[in-house]
Amino acid sequence: MNGEVLLDIQGLEKHFGDNKVLRGITTQIRKGEVVAIIGPSGCGKSTFLRSLNLLEEPTGGKILFEGTEITGTKVDVNHIRRKIGMVFQQFNLFPHLTIRRNITLAPVKLGILDKHEANRRADELLKRVGLPDKADAYPEQLSGGQKQRIAIARAMAMNPDVMLFDEPTSALDPEMVGEVLEIMRELAESGMTMVVVTHEMGFAREVATRAIFIDEGVIKEDNTPEEFFRSTQNERLKDFLSKVL
Amino acid sequence: MSFQERFSLNFIEKGRYKYLVSGIENTLLITIVAAAIGIALGFLIAIIRSTHDKTGRLRILNALCKLYLTVIRGTPTTVQLLIVYFVIFSSVSRPMLSAFIAFGLNSAAYVAEIVRSGIMSIDPGQTEAGRSLGLSYAQTMTYIIIPQAFKNVLPALTNEFIVLLKETSICIAISLRDLTYGTQLISSQTYDYMFPLLAGALIYLVIVVFLTWLFGKLERSLRKNER
Repeated sequence: MNGEVLLDIQGLEKHFGDNKVLRGITTQIRKGEVVAIIGPSGCGKSTFLRSLNLLEEPTGGKILFEGTEITGTKVDVNHIRRKIGMVFQQFNLFPHLTIRRNITLAPVKLGILDKHEANRRADELLKRVGLPDKADAYPEQLSGGQKQRIAIARAMAMNPDVMLFDEPTSALDPEMVGEVLEIMRELAESGMTMVVVTHEMGFAREVATRAIFIDEGVIKEDNTPEEFFRSTQNERLKDFLSKVL
Repeated sequence: MSFQERFSLNFIEKGRYKYLVSGIENTLLITIVAAAIGIALGFLIAIIRSTHDKTGRLRILNALCKLYLTVIRGTPTTVQLLIVYFVIFSSVSRPMLSAFIAFGLNSAAYVAEIVRSGIMSIDPGQTEAGRSLGLSYAQTMTYIIIPQAFKNVLPALTNEFIVLLKETSICIAISLRDLTYGTQLISSQTYDYMFPLLAGALIYLVIVVFLTWLFGKLERSLRKNER
């Protein structure tokens, strides 16, 4: 991997009171990488992901995004978040807005696109996620899988440099997982840099370019998916994989 | 005296119905102005309070708001009206202005707590989604949280404005010629209490039923988005 470093994470720590969720995480995310974050529940993998766009404020350590330290005090968080898309487990679509408005709200209100351009972009993205006829529907009218595909389109509307996925298929009925993973696979193939917290081992193995195992708030294994799943020496990871595979 | 004669005596003779008409005008005017003040100030307080609850910022403003809510909600509306009229505007007789201010400030306190509960009831994931797209806290509030909160609290707000409308009848304490005072003016001339008071009650009832219908319609039109 020799793409340019997008996210440089140095000794990241996060405490909730006495609970030390992250105990010093250091890694780099390079352009074009698809990094799968895997680990037992409560290991801090979601907290780690949410720290990357500062939805969680780190307690210690540093994060540099495209060379700028974003954990400093003088940084415009809103500006940085425009370039870091996020997809949530619970979709978090805006229920009071149509699908089109869900997608165009941020680009229009932030003055990145005018209304006309944003609508065109929304149509384009809806086609890409396979829901071109849902522009005027409301979120409640969609299935879980469709909602998540819209959430991906909404994040993409901002034209981010990296996209974070926080267990994007965990809240879905089993038969809808495939359609969301398929969109994510296409996104990965288009060259999007992605960091994905997931329990989908198949996705991690086939789509990810790197797999990271977080346990007890630190990275226990950081490897290519082949090595990660086939020949890891780490006992904790072996144990974890034997339970989930 | 027959029904028609009493009706005529109370409402037709010497154009006494005009006491009721101008009373309705004043009652509605006070309600509308007070509701407008209540909404503006109430939303402001709600936003300050919920911002503090969610982020821990605005500590001093939040403390001021809490003090305000405690005082307003802890004292009778009538006493508040009398204080505004006799103490704050002691040197000039400004009953309408006093009513606007007293009822507006009073209503704001109740609106604030209703709206705050609405804001706090919105899933934090909504704020996170807005913020993760790069929207500022204020933009997220304006375009995502408040519209949803407003829809959720509309029934409670309707109720508050109905209470407000009825509560304006205490304007009689500062001799402001509202609807209730209008009925008393008629009684004082005709020595008949039943007809004017029943007429007044009926008028309040009709206005309340109309307002309930109107807000119900608004609520339904906002809700239909979700199905």
